Amino acid sequence: MLKYVGKSEKRVDGIKKVTGYVRYTDDLKLSGMLYARIKKSPYPHAKILKIDTSKAEKLSGVKVVITGKDVPIRVGLYLEDKTFLAIDKVRFIGEPVAAVAAESEEIAEEAVSLIEVDYEELSAVFSPLDGIKPDAPIIHEDLGSYKHASIILPQSGTNISNHYKIRKGDIEKGFKEADFVFENEFYVPHIQHSAIENHCAIAQADPEGKITVWAGCQSPYAVRRTLAVAFDMPLNKIRVISPAIGGGFGAKAGTTLEGIVIPLAQKANYRPVKLSFSREDVFINTFVRQGMYARIKTGVTKDGKIIAEENKFYWDGGAYTEYGVNIARAGGYASTGPYDIPNVKADSICVYTNHPVGGPYRGFGMSEIHFAIEQNLDIVAYKIGMDPAEFRKKNALKDGSSTVTGQILENVGLIQCLDKVTEDIEWDKREKKVSKIKYRGKGIACMYKAPSMPNNVGSSAIVKINEDGTVNLLVTAMDLGQGSDTVLTQIAAEVLTVPISRISIMTGDTDCTPYEWQTVASRTTYCCGNSVKRAAEDAKNQMLRLASLKFGISEEGLELKDEQIISKIYPDKKVKIADLAMGLTMPDGSGIHGPIIGRGAFIPPDVKDTDKETGQGDKPVAYWTFGVQAAEVEVDIETGEVKVLKIAAAYDAGKAINPELVCAQIEGGIVQGLGSALLEEMKIKEGKVLNPSFVDYKIPTAGDVPEIRISIIEIPEPTGPWGARGIAEPCMVPTAPAIANAVFDAIGCRINSLPITAEKVLKAIKDKMK
Amino acid sequence: MKHKISFTINGDVKEIEIEPNKTLLKMLREDLDLTGTKEGCGAGECGACTVLVDNKPVNSCLMLAVEVDGKEILTIEGISDGTNLDPIQESFLKHNAIQCGYCTPGMVMSAKALLNRNSHPTEEDVKEALSGNLCRCTGYQRIVDAVLDSAKKGGKK
Amino acid sequence: MKEFEYLKPDTIEETISILSQHGEKAQILNGGTDLIVGMRDKIIQPEYLVDIKAIPQLNRIIYSKQDGLNIGSTVTLNEISDSKVVQTHYPILAEACKTVGSYQVRNRATLVGNICNASPAADTAPPLLVLDAKVNIIGPTGEKIIPINQFFTGVKKNILKKGEIVNSVTVPLIKDKWTGVYIKQSRRKDVDLATVGVAVVCVRDEIRIALGAVAPIPVRIFKTEELLKGKLIDELLLEKAGESAITEVSPISDVRSSKEYRVEIVKVLIRRAILQVKRRYSA
Repeated sequence: MLKYVGKSEKRVDGIKKVTGYVRYTDDLKLSGMLYARIKKSPYPHAKILKIDTSKAEKLSGVKVVITGKDVPIRVGLYLEDKTFLAIDKVRFIGEPVAAVAAESEEIAEEAVSLIEVDYEELSAVFSPLDGIKPDAPIIHEDLGSYKHASIILPQSGTNISNHYKIRKGDIEKGFKEADFVFENEFYVPHIQHSAIENHCAIAQADPEGKITVWAGCQSPYAVRRTLAVAFDMPLNKIRVISPAIGGGFGAKAGTTLEGIVIPLAQKANYRPVKLSFSREDVFINTFVRQGMYARIKTGVTKDGKIIAEENKFYWDGGAYTEYGVNIARAGGYASTGPYDIPNVKADSICVYTNHPVGGPYRGFGMSEIHFAIEQNLDIVAYKIGMDPAEFRKKNALKDGSSTVTGQILENVGLIQCLDKVTEDIEWDKREKKVSKIKYRGKGIACMYKAPSMPNNVGSSAIVKINEDGTVNLLVTAMDLGQGSDTVLTQIAAEVLTVPISRISIMTGDTDCTPYEWQTVASRTTYCCGNSVKRAAEDAKNQMLRLASLKFGISEEGLELKDEQIISKIYPDKKVKIADLAMGLTMPDGSGIHGPIIGRGAFIPPDVKDTDKETGQGDKPVAYWTFGVQAAEVEVDIETGEVKVLKIAAAYDAGKAINPELVCAQIEGGIVQGLGSALLEEMKIKEGKVLNPSFVDYKIPTAGDVPEIRISIIEIPEPTGPWGARGIAEPCMVPTAPAIANAVFDAIGCRINSLPITAEKVLKAIKDKMK
Repeated sequence: MKHKISFTINGDVKEIEIEPNKTLLKMLREDLDLTGTKEGCGAGECGACTVLVDNKPVNSCLMLAVEVDGKEILTIEGISDGTNLDPIQESFLKHNAIQCGYCTPGMVMSAKALLNRNSHPTEEDVKEALSGNLCRCTGYQRIVDAVLDSAKKGGKK
Repeated sequence: MKEFEYLKPDTIEETISILSQHGEKAQILNGGTDLIVGMRDKIIQPEYLVDIKAIPQLNRIIYSKQDGLNIGSTVTLNEISDSKVVQTHYPILAEACKTVGSYQVRNRATLVGNICNASPAADTAPPLLVLDAKVNIIGPTGEKIIPINQFFTGVKKNILKKGEIVNSVTVPLIKDKWTGVYIKQSRRKDVDLATVGVAVVCVRDEIRIALGAVAPIPVRIFKTEELLKGKLIDELLLEKAGESAITEVSPISDVRSSKEYRVEIVKVLIRRAILQVKRRYSA
């Protein structure tokens, strides 16, 4: 009988957030602080001929001026293709070419305006389809010499930074045997996370040569490692503190501006240097979601079995794809969506363009590809006269199915999710024409996602038992709002039988909290949760051992219950956790063992590489999460406006450690998905972002929220803590295609690109009428 | 040239010399160390900087500090007394209406202003009142529910 | 923001004197919701900022059965939409004011500021145009009254000369029964700029129409009004009205919308607005 896990415990960080007490990075004011600003490139692609910083250096109040030559080392998570300041060349409008630290923001801004840069413009690339052409201008001439993870396959001499292939079965044979073959194309533009907190970083160097960085980053250890490489420093000389994060969604994964403040701090005579991005800076100088062109060719039998699929994904990776290359890979190993297809050919190609930098965005490629996959499925279903939900059910992955990489699956909850959603949205009930101008429709979309991470990365946790039996839990999994602080505390509470109020969690300090690869990939409950469970069990085992010594009873005869170790048979033989926390005092007064520190570490078991040519592998990922969403929309056929009335969602969470927090995530994911479906697009013309502000980049408000109905299925993932899987990203993935499919159901028009604006809908309606 | 201004902040009278080219938001955060009020866009679009000036919710990023001379300002720090939370804050906690917390101070202040002027808002009223406060994490419904619930209790616990 | 001198006169005379003295170097600080954004983005960099909110005469809403409605230049949009007299006697204006920005913005932004900013998409402009509002200007040469029709002179340009400020806006009485509506098309339901704005007023057999965001300035479309005057409103006439309206405006494609879409929406919204006011009028 679980006491804490599976309960909707209240957030452990709620009060400090609701009072405005929490300090995010920009709230920190350090003594002697200097303020930084960056000089940005006005060109999408140009050689830097000369940078003259002399006037800026002379301005009163300016303390440090740096350019690319001060930060020359290339870094990157999966492909080392970026520098924090441009060197020799700029590759997107807005790329930082110099930075200043000064006594005030105003002086720093003025100093930046005094920096003179001479450029020689180069031809630029604004679409991946142009980037792959043989005569395309080359954006990274040295691609062939960049260090990269073994799973990434860059093509030297081109703009292709990764080409992930799936070759499963026999695609030619599959198409030959199909009764029908359909080809469709789709497009998603760049969008942005728009977390309400803008990026900010502070760095300070101390006289011993140690650097401390404060930044609201999702992954302090990844930041530490990248900075160590960039500045050729040992890891123990860099401390990264992530104080609190005002929304992540991938925007604050990896590194963004952290590397600019360090070289400023190193020359600032031990004064801290803060770089605060404005909203416009965030739009232009931090990660955007990659754009993508998709071509899908589907071979299907007349009774609705998909037997062949060919997917081509061309990713608009932007100017640097150190992160984007893995998104392309993820798009590849998930390329057909959650369906059992015997013959698959997929090419997922990450292409450099002179656009802002593409990077991780909630879903990590899944939202982009599922927009294409799920509309494609709907088109095929419609053309062969089959109900879209039935068609999906017929082809859905289930226990025993094989994925595109040839992995045989178990514990697949997809069909249960489908059934729940079709029930909740009343799939068979359609009220098409509500009035002369308002038409309604329903659409459905499935999804799956695995945590996209290297096979061998780990999490860890430390549990300290205090003298009074309370607990300090140390992890570097970051609470971005998703509630990890609370969930991890619940896990510790469950194992240690210590109430949540007697456990304090601390995160985000690489000097004190133990290694966590990154807080991304919806991996935290699974990976760090397992680490916390192991750390708590380690502490528990130490206490059992000490109690066994104390009572002379074997460990099997003892249990941890209600904060005590107690004999299973002799209830008077009990000792409080508090009395074992500092070790065991023997009858003769001597002490043994010392303070109890529980240690836990976790790497997902048996996750292996796939074949470089065929993409085949029997366990390329730790686990898969399945989910389904359906949308009901109402279209005004005179204006084209789409209103989302209702969304039904079902996810297999394996085990919802905190059901309310799972639901809260799903609600947020749905609304974020709705934004990408109807409102959001970075309008980029010749490399220039035309709408870098909330005036013209619209995200949903309270007035846009539909009725939402959520179901949580629980088919345990055997390797997850109590069976838990991650759902943080999956909950955004199918919303846009579900809405697109609903629009088709309402008005018979396909909108093959995002966002589904009133303009596009009206044009489609008018074109159809002609 | 700095101007001497005097105003009430969270119940305390304050006199300060301030440059005219500083926004109210910057003054609150930098000169008064009241960092609960946030900057999310600096352009009056996101509402993270919402405070009450003479009981009216405003975007403090769109006001100059000098404009609050003679006025009463209420920020998130001023609505609980250090021991007891405001009923709206209690309601936010109860409804799990907080995730990353960054929009929360602005949301709470907008909600407080709404309930001050309309003690029985409809769901539409709440959504309209909060439409100038952007949230990326929660999907809004729990925030709306928290405000409605708080109104039902008449602002009492 | 660049440094500037902040002045807070408490009379109109002093304000005029400051503005006359400094001309282009001075800007009026009223609600500030447009100005401060412009100053932050360094598009506007005044050396003198003249805060007019301490002038009591500017902060009044006066209604009389003879002279109609008079709105002082520092009256905020929320004050206007909350005002019982505006809600009762000029509901179209209360409605339009509520569509500007967010509730927070409307606690600072003013109607007069909205028209002085003179965005082609200004939401208060089409209603003021169909209500034949008048702008009361005061300056170094004295007072003058300009019909709202003549107030806008170009994209973000108004007719004010050096030293002049808007004292108030007068919305005359319409003696007969009338109905009106303002329909705003935008990308997002709440808190957005208009991609097209349509204001229609119906009084006796007259239909007045003004459009926003489809020309360099907000405009009354008199030719189309002439087409409709005194005629029975049927689908064919509404279609003709839509086509006629397009000939009186010049929508463009911009980051918010394409020209083609604006053209379609003008036709749809004119039809809807006319039907709505006619329905309300007959009720």
